[in-house]
Amino acid sequence: MSIVIADEPRVAAPPPPEPVVPRRNYLNTEYGVLSWLLTVDHKRIGILYLVSISAFFVVGGIAAGLVRLNLLSPTGAILTEDQYNRMFTAHGVVMLFLFLIPSIPAVFGNFFVPMMIGAKDLAFPKLNLASWYVFMIGAGFAVYAVLVGGIDTGWTLYPPYSSRSHTNVTPGVFGVFITGFSSIMTGLNIMVTIHKMRCPGMTWGRLPLFIWAMYATSFIQLLGTPVVAITLLLLLAERVGGVGIFDPAIGGDPVLYQHMFWFYSHPAVYIMIVPGMGVVSEILTCFSRKNIFGYKAIAWSSVGIAVVGFLVWAHHMYVAGIAYYSALLFSFLTMLVAVPSAIKVFNWLATLFRGSITFHAPMLYTLAFLVLFTVGGVTGLFLATLGTDIHLHDTYFVVAHFHFVMVGGMVLAYMAALHYWWPKMTGRMYSDFWSRASATIIFVGFFFTFVPQFVLGYHGMPRRYPNYPQEFQIYNVLSTAGASILGFGYLLPGIYLPLSLFFGVKSPANPWSATGLEWQCPSPPTTFNFDFVPVVVCGPYEYAIGVDQLGRGLPDPPGPGDAASPYRPVGPAGPIHKETEVVG
Amino acid sequence: MNTSLPGMAERASVVADRFEPLFWYIVAWTGAGFLLVSVILAYFCIQYRRGPGGPISTPRILGSHRLELFWTLTPLFIFFTFYAWGVWIYNGVVQTPPDAPEIFVIGKQWMWKAQYPGGQRVIVGGNPGNMSEEDQAHIGALVLPLDRPVKVTFISEDVIHDFGVPAFRQKIDVVPGRYVSTVYHPTKLGEFHVFCDQYCGTWHSLMVGKIKVVPADEFELFIQGKGGAQGSPNPVDGSMAQKGWQHFQRLQCQSCHVPNAGAGTRLHPRAPSLEGLFGQTVPLHGGGTVVADEPYIRESIVNPRAKVVEGWEPVMPGNYESQVTPEELNELVAYIRWLKPGGMIAPNDRAPAPFGAPRVTPPQSTPSGSSGGKQ
Repeated sequence: MSIVIADEPRVAAPPPPEPVVPRRNYLNTEYGVLSWLLTVDHKRIGILYLVSISAFFVVGGIAAGLVRLNLLSPTGAILTEDQYNRMFTAHGVVMLFLFLIPSIPAVFGNFFVPMMIGAKDLAFPKLNLASWYVFMIGAGFAVYAVLVGGIDTGWTLYPPYSSRSHTNVTPGVFGVFITGFSSIMTGLNIMVTIHKMRCPGMTWGRLPLFIWAMYATSFIQLLGTPVVAITLLLLLAERVGGVGIFDPAIGGDPVLYQHMFWFYSHPAVYIMIVPGMGVVSEILTCFSRKNIFGYKAIAWSSVGIAVVGFLVWAHHMYVAGIAYYSALLFSFLTMLVAVPSAIKVFNWLATLFRGSITFHAPMLYTLAFLVLFTVGGVTGLFLATLGTDIHLHDTYFVVAHFHFVMVGGMVLAYMAALHYWWPKMTGRMYSDFWSRASATIIFVGFFFTFVPQFVLGYHGMPRRYPNYPQEFQIYNVLSTAGASILGFGYLLPGIYLPLSLFFGVKSPANPWSATGLEWQCPSPPTTFNFDFVPVVVCGPYEYAIGVDQLGRGLPDPPGPGDAASPYRPVGPAGPIHKETEVVG
Repeated sequence: MNTSLPGMAERASVVADRFEPLFWYIVAWTGAGFLLVSVILAYFCIQYRRGPGGPISTPRILGSHRLELFWTLTPLFIFFTFYAWGVWIYNGVVQTPPDAPEIFVIGKQWMWKAQYPGGQRVIVGGNPGNMSEEDQAHIGALVLPLDRPVKVTFISEDVIHDFGVPAFRQKIDVVPGRYVSTVYHPTKLGEFHVFCDQYCGTWHSLMVGKIKVVPADEFELFIQGKGGAQGSPNPVDGSMAQKGWQHFQRLQCQSCHVPNAGAGTRLHPRAPSLEGLFGQTVPLHGGGTVVADEPYIRESIVNPRAKVVEGWEPVMPGNYESQVTPEELNELVAYIRWLKPGGMIAPNDRAPAPFGAPRVTPPQSTPSGSSGGKQ
């Protein structure tokens, strides 16, 4: 094994003095509702998104809870069939379009992309604010549609059912159509920002991997979202105008819709997961005090996923009546897209090798991500393989796989990002004990919720079934029991994070002793982030040497076990001495 | 119905036998991969955790091209074995043998209907609430032969459904406006679940049915109209009873032998109902009884005034023998023998008809034509 060593050992530079906490930061520079609603500060817009999507997460979570409760009984415990169908549609629409797609790009992308590349704001601040308004208008339509009257088509909105359903499909589809524009605006903004607004010295090879991931995500948002916009518009034309596009009864082709829908919606799952992968690269390096293993491999695998991800859409349609040779081709391409994710996982693992690992909440969430995402990834292979998908298609196996990637992967990465950057965003630290507890509870609850669903799927239980054969009940009960643990785990951050705003310890500028530029700003940052133009002199993860991207030394990282105050620069056993060792 | 699941799901078809090795092959590889990742992760987390107060000392490792190449190509190679094996199975599902009998299955909200080459029609299953009372009695099972490939062609009447058979490890979307086909090659006798796997509306979860695999000779009898293997009282098109029903229509028997008639209805029958007649003991005009067996039914057609049922006038013409051949007469008898209570519908009953029990209108001369009017 050859290990590539780039540099000769260097003596770590002294850490910079703790920046003076400014009297004015982005949170208290102005007060009042209007100062928020009319802001063009990327950080405030990030907070607007954070508050909005947290609310949507609660709505989608309640719908999920009702669905799981109903499945306790083989004939439906609490809901009628119509109510059940509306609930799982509400869960899917809200979680996917209003939570997962905007989650990391719109909250942490908005907030941290400019800070991590040394910029004062995004390239188009007003467009950024407009994106939030567009998102909220679209979300208003969508939430109205799923809560008042409801939609019973499932989030995939397959015609001809969706073009004939008597439920609130029209406002719902219109809402999703509108939120798509918000996604395009955010993607465009971030892409232009990364291209044009990097500070001096921030070359492409020195970009933090979160930025690479956001770049790949923006690429998908820009190219994919217009297609779903067209698709949804055509669906509306058929529903409202009676134009025969997808419904064969009036001359359309239902499989055409599936092609168009998945052309966006498969890459869309990469819109959801790739930013999470970027977060993981940031946190793993920081909490293991290691350089990332295989920087270029991880960066290019993000871009590879973004490109190849556009060529695999019909793997959702092996049994939908597509041509034999298309099925062969799409299965082949899907095998290719699985590889970059595997590359990332192995590189992350290798990053931990000989690290100095601590287990604060962001790291616990990230480790949980690694385990759950691996399960989610490998179970995707069963669905990519033609011979197994013809059985597992549309069963709970798919449900479990999707949730492992989207919840085990993406939501945990989102939680990791939230806990990692919370002190920077708010200037306050949350409870160490409760945050670690919630990460553990979520991990355990998640396993209990979704592992039984793999068994159900293997035995053929179809998705979207409020009534099911008796023999499936035991696994459904297990799954619901796990879901209640999971729900409790999600409840905890909803309590201790807001409490930390009032009672949390004040956070220093760089509580985790991380190398990124965002930690060079005070916590919370001032409106324009940097008082000076940062000049980057090295790559993003020089933890082994112990320098940040400006070439200055790092403060001592938090100690491993001091639950009461792990965030003091000085650990319980006195200052931690840094010794840099370079091996080859 | 068993109330717990076995470790390995029930297998009942050639595809299921092929599915299992591939499934467990992928489980083995991915399980090994997952274990590898988990064990390494756990080992690193324990081995390299930072002790309290200890020095932070980490090497500056940036990467390794050889390792990258290794863990790019190894998974790729393993994935391609999944791919190739999967294609082989998929091929067996898509390529239909030319000599296999073909069964048509129609999906609609929310029921499955099957048509056989002999003209037999079965309601495979569905939500009873979406069927007429008569159809509910006709819910049977999709009859398939043991150890013989059968081509099944699907179409939907309304929205997209999906015909999924877990025990066969097969499913296929049933799309409106186009035929899709697959092959079932059952290897085990018994009854198996059919699920609608593509969400289709309110009663999606009740659009379930049964497949019944029978020995090949029994299937042959069923196809020929000689056996009710589907487990429901459907008339069997192409059977003697079905042909007899056609003669029954042609000879206008139903204009006098009105079913479900009597006091309080608008119908004024001139002859007794024939539903459920077979095997009954019938009181005769002028005393005495007779068991309504084949000889009696035949006699009553050929020579209607010989034994008139108590309470009815002897008004039936005696010239029917000249209008039917002996074979056709046998078929008429077979129809009356088949005719269960509720099996015949009054001439003015305009209930929309899925299929199944004979209808008074329109006359259906061919088995395939009989389903055409209802789709």
